[in-house]
Amino acid sequence: LILDLTASPSFGAAVQPGAAGQSGAGADRREAALVELSKKRETYEDLAPILWHSFGVMTALLQEIVLVYPCLSPPSLSNQASNRVCNALALLQCVASHQDTRALFLNADIPLFLYPFLNTTSKTRAFEYLRLTSLGVIGALVKSDNSEVINFLLSTEIIPLCLRIMESGSELSKTVAIFIVQKILLDEMGLAYICQTYERFYAVGTVLSNMVLQLVEAPSVRLLKHVVRCYQRLGDNPRAKEALRQCLPEPLRDNTFAGVLKDDLTTKRCLGSLLVNLSESS
Amino acid sequence: PGTLAAANLTQPGEDSLYPISVYIQLPNLPIFNLQPSMKRIVHIAIDRAIREVIVSPVVERSVAIAGIATRELIIKDFALEPNEDKMRKAAHLMAQNLAGSLAIVSSRDPLRVGMITQLQNLLRQNGITEQSVSEQVVFTIVADNLDLACSVMERAAAEKSIAEIDEELGPAYLNRRKHRERSSQLYYDVSVYAASRYPSSLPEPLRLKPNGLTASQFRVYEDFSRMTRVAPEATVADVPDRELKSRDNSLLQMEDVVPQIVTQAMEKMEVAISELE
Repeated sequence: LILDLTASPSFGAAVQPGAAGQSGAGADRREAALVELSKKRETYEDLAPILWHSFGVMTALLQEIVLVYPCLSPPSLSNQASNRVCNALALLQCVASHQDTRALFLNADIPLFLYPFLNTTSKTRAFEYLRLTSLGVIGALVKSDNSEVINFLLSTEIIPLCLRIMESGSELSKTVAIFIVQKILLDEMGLAYICQTYERFYAVGTVLSNMVLQLVEAPSVRLLKHVVRCYQRLGDNPRAKEALRQCLPEPLRDNTFAGVLKDDLTTKRCLGSLLVNLSESS
Repeated sequence: PGTLAAANLTQPGEDSLYPISVYIQLPNLPIFNLQPSMKRIVHIAIDRAIREVIVSPVVERSVAIAGIATRELIIKDFALEPNEDKMRKAAHLMAQNLAGSLAIVSSRDPLRVGMITQLQNLLRQNGITEQSVSEQVVFTIVADNLDLACSVMERAAAEKSIAEIDEELGPAYLNRRKHRERSSQLYYDVSVYAASRYPSSLPEPLRLKPNGLTASQFRVYEDFSRMTRVAPEATVADVPDRELKSRDNSLLQMEDVVPQIVTQAMEKMEVAISELE
């Protein structure tokens, strides 16, 4: 399998340092390799450790990331530049997903280089894709249900970044952002962290309740599911439960979403148990 | 307009941090000719905003993150490199570039806000009304000088990152020197090879070379000094989609590629999301 990989000319181009960041033919070779490799990454099980341990590949991917920083503010990211960096991010997602490279990826603080992308607000497609693919990398990390990952993320500003995207991103971005927050909440340490101070709980609670109001206007079963799950999980913390008795948004109490949830028994049940939990004294 | 009180402009011990004065850009407005001190006011405002941000955690964090990423990747890539000078050179190039890039991207907003506030305060303190210098002019001055202020942050972060990375890699430099003094055998970093089976099982073209980096491998790190930090001139991003399509057909082809890649990247996420349900 590994020999097959090296036989592929595009793979060779990606890892051959000659292709790194030069103008002209060299840069094109890297770009072509990024396209080819990101397409093929599902085919090879061990691509992540190969990317990590091959000379210079991670360094080159990091270069691809900081190269687009100047396009972030004022927003001037072209579709082509967005496309290129998204390919690099797709390979990083692969490294973030693999159990043999995940810890190395975290140890090198590489996720933090994506935060400037999550911090952008431009609504153009180029930026939407950039945010979405960056969220995908963080999503791949939290997907592993690994407390090391949660520990790492809690030491960074990922929660406020996700909260902002949950309020104002596209539907898909919102879904991935709330997925990340939900995964953090599902972790004991994550739940304790968010409920530790009133400010943190308030920040999360406010965004969730804004999302509920948005969902009344523009219903989305997928998003509603996550919102309900997040509230349900917050209800597991005694202090958050007390607060939610006061501030759970009305539309979740008064059957506003009965129609939307008609075909989603699981979420309906979930909402029911949330309301029961809140009605019981702690 | 009278002459401005010098006392309002300089506080004790507040000399300019960086010799930026020659680079300051001012709009071509009569007020700047009538009031020669205007330039000084702008200079002080920029200077104070820079001071505020430079002591905030922004620069320090950029240096720390760049240092960690550089350390981890250099140790891995230089595991067979016997020459600590080569390692140091690469580490400096990488750490400076990463720290500088992070510092610019994360200090831009705080600098903009700081410069606007400082400039408005100074103008008010010196009795310059909004009639003579409008809010719009303040914004323009700040926008025109934002890159300048950012480049000060970049330099500060890049300079700090050298000491930081030398400290992080100090033991690695020392190991190489000691090895050379003691032994004529090839150098290799045991910790890298003991930690994982992959480095030694990679196919030959991908593997590290027994005598250290080849010239073309070293170029990956030299590229950090060649990377330009200037935004591309052509900005198609903010043009409405309809206009784009009618203007350039080659862009249309790219549109087919982008969603495909994003869709691919999202596939795993979708699976993960459905697993939660």
